[in-house]
Amino acid sequence: MGAFILRRTGVMILTALCLTLVVFFLTNLFPNLEKLAKTQGNARMSDAEVVSWLDRNGYGGPMLVRYGEWLGVMPGWTREDAETGVITGRCIDFGMDAADAPVRCGLLQGDLGFSTVSDEDVGNVLPRRLMLTLKLMAYAFGLMVPAALLIGVLAGMREGSRLDRTLSTLSIASTATPEYVSGVIFIVLFASTTAGVSGMLTEWGWLGDGGWLGDRRTLFLGSARSAMTDITFWNFTLPVTTIALYGMGYIARMTRASMAEVMTAQYIRTARLKGVSFRNIVLKHALRNALIAPFTVIMLQFPWLLTGVVIVETLFNYNGFGWTMVQAASNNDIELLLACSIVAVFVVLLTQLISDIGYVFLNPRIRIS
Amino acid sequence: MRDFTDGSADTGMTTHPVAEMYAAEHKAGKLDRREFLVRSTALGLSAAAAYSLIGASPALADGHRAVPAAGGTLRIQSEVRALKDPRTYDWSQMANVTRGFLEYLIQYNNDGTFEGVLLESWEANDDATVYTLNLRQGITWNNGDAFTAEDVAANVTGWCDSTVEGNSMATRMGGLVDADTGVIREGGVEIVDDYTVRVTFPAPDITLVPGLADYPAAVQHRDFIGTNPADHGVGTGAYEITEYEVGVQATLSRKEGHTYWRDTYLDELVFVDLGQDPAAWFAGAEADEFDMTYETVGEFVDLFDAIGWNRTEVITAATVVVRPNQNNAPYDDVRVRRAIQMAVDNEVCMVLGINGQGVVAENHHVCPIHPEYAELPPLVHDPAGAQALLEESGHADFEFELVSIDDDYRKNTTDAVAAQLRDAGFNVTRTIIPGSTFWNDWTTYPFSSTNWNHRELGVQVLNLAYRSGVPWNESGFANEEFDTLLTEANGIVDADARRVVMARLEAIMQEEGVTLQPYWRSLFNHTRPGVVNGHMHTKFEINVHYLGFEA
Repeated sequence: MGAFILRRTGVMILTALCLTLVVFFLTNLFPNLEKLAKTQGNARMSDAEVVSWLDRNGYGGPMLVRYGEWLGVMPGWTREDAETGVITGRCIDFGMDAADAPVRCGLLQGDLGFSTVSDEDVGNVLPRRLMLTLKLMAYAFGLMVPAALLIGVLAGMREGSRLDRTLSTLSIASTATPEYVSGVIFIVLFASTTAGVSGMLTEWGWLGDGGWLGDRRTLFLGSARSAMTDITFWNFTLPVTTIALYGMGYIARMTRASMAEVMTAQYIRTARLKGVSFRNIVLKHALRNALIAPFTVIMLQFPWLLTGVVIVETLFNYNGFGWTMVQAASNNDIELLLACSIVAVFVVLLTQLISDIGYVFLNPRIRIS
Repeated sequence: MRDFTDGSADTGMTTHPVAEMYAAEHKAGKLDRREFLVRSTALGLSAAAAYSLIGASPALADGHRAVPAAGGTLRIQSEVRALKDPRTYDWSQMANVTRGFLEYLIQYNNDGTFEGVLLESWEANDDATVYTLNLRQGITWNNGDAFTAEDVAANVTGWCDSTVEGNSMATRMGGLVDADTGVIREGGVEIVDDYTVRVTFPAPDITLVPGLADYPAAVQHRDFIGTNPADHGVGTGAYEITEYEVGVQATLSRKEGHTYWRDTYLDELVFVDLGQDPAAWFAGAEADEFDMTYETVGEFVDLFDAIGWNRTEVITAATVVVRPNQNNAPYDDVRVRRAIQMAVDNEVCMVLGINGQGVVAENHHVCPIHPEYAELPPLVHDPAGAQALLEESGHADFEFELVSIDDDYRKNTTDAVAAQLRDAGFNVTRTIIPGSTFWNDWTTYPFSSTNWNHRELGVQVLNLAYRSGVPWNESGFANEEFDTLLTEANGIVDADARRVVMARLEAIMQEEGVTLQPYWRSLFNHTRPGVVNGHMHTKFEINVHYLGFEA
């Protein structure tokens, strides 16, 4: 087991290295650097100014050397201004004396670098944003997993019944509706004063001044900004539901299949013949075995949720990890993007590791070798 | 100079001989009130003095603004971008946040007047080469230092430093910048006494005052020239930045222990960044995320009206140009450029591009609200003639690629141009580039659309965008006669005399088919009922010191 975890960790580090190298390469292509210079310097800079800006800010050297600087294996760049004699450098912070600055400052030294778009250290920006996304994902999981399992078990316990058909159709529909569709539909239905139910509720006096649902103008809020400081039922329901709905159908389908298979097993038939009640068969005999397969699926939802939050956070203006990634990519914020990719690799491989190990505990027939 | 306004409310202000002449012209009906105000206040008259010269009373009470109740927190929807050296600001939004503590020498008002902020008054000599700036006394920086002539001189010197990348103030300072050294010319700025600064141009220049009112002209403390104000926070204004998260939000709070030199109302301001999509702004308005929009565009003007917000409108010289770049074939052929202009009906562009929310323009980038605007014969829309001209030029088979940014009105306007060109027999493909990458090459696209903000005088934008070889010359236009005439116009204080030159400049723009400039935009914003002084500004300025709520 120890060797297995060690090997997995090695793979994780190697993957992170490869991925960051690819991201580094793509973000350091000249047109992207030019974009960076123009967003940081002046949107209407001339070509000569761009080159001088890049050179002055340490984007001039060979790409691999700069990747090494970011990793912390190469010494950070320094540059002396020919006129003023002021030394600037990667490791010299604003107001710091050049002599006191460390030689190397990269990932190995625990320095994630500087986010150009946020004008702040990546180490400051990212945890804050990840925290917000963690909250969103926790709520989404809290809604998605129990609901999906319930639907799956209900559908799978009597395969082919009317209940099964109805629930299966619903789960297929929810899986087939991506977030950018369901999110927009939700906003139109529940968070617009001119369309959907809100106008009607306001007319009835349920919303607006003195309404018993609150003095808002819409039932739910179409923007989750206020949820960043204070989560309420009204501002967080739509983003959470939008994320949860997509994954819910998938997990429910898996659970249903697994449940249906278990229900046809010999030992269930034996239990029936012995006269055990259907309720007890489902709860005591079938459920435990049926939940092994969905466990892996649920764990694999984590990395996949990361892509979901990109869309949902942008749609609902919730400034978490997904939104940060979009901002970093559209502004070519190199070091923030690199940090984001490390987080992504970490989340994907860690959840896979947990799912592999968890599977061993759930299913004694499997051994890790 | 004779003191003209003695006995009026504004004693001590001097007038300018040319201003007197303007007043005579206005009374003779040769000059409308707006033009009179722009010209006379640019020469140093206070708005009140200018009004008194023509025997009118200002349209609004003192300071042209209503007085809100004290206190409260106002939230403004606005992009929150990383701050930098104010000289290099390229977005008005940056200046709107820092205006809470970095003030300006002069401000431009919607009625076309200039008003002193950190300046008490200013005067120009007869040929507009020497400007005397009189500082308002008793202003202190929030670090305790007094605001003196030294600060102003240091800022002017900083603005003239064209060796700083992206310092757009250097262009605005014109002749003050020494062409050889790239910095301020010797004797360009002098400190006369603690509260008087003299600026001397080598040649007449009438754009200094508008330049000082522009958003990159924020006045920094003399020791902090060239630094990012977010790092030091030293300014004369009443507020300080208490929170700044780029792309998310910024908060200005009243600075404790600092005495501001005039009244201000709000305790706190929040700038809420909801991205660039107007649909997201609207969703934010419905979710009660803010009280005032930075700007409302296109169909969203009606939508915000529909949810009960107050609309404000200002007519400006802000525009979109769809320009061929003459450094690229076949746009180096004047017949092709003329054909493009003839094929397009500017009114159609306005109706399709901005819902008709503006005024039709005449392809020469000088607006009727500019004082020196000269009226030329109306443009002829002639698709058949355009096709003939295109065939004559031998480029009838050329595939025209028309580039635009991916947004609302700029894309729609460019689409309208493309459709009309196709109707006239041009072979056009449209390319739409996302906002994040569009500006990388905006000056070099062979044929593309660009938005230009309002400027106060007609010569200003011609200097910035059409003079040979200037950085923002996106049309690749290089014409010796044009440059000479423009230099001449820059030195003519008398607007009628300047209009004569201007008529020729406008005609050259049309004859050379330099650009397709279909309309002047009206600008709109919306405020929640109860917000005071949240009126849309011609130059997207938000002065947080004036804002507040109704009592």
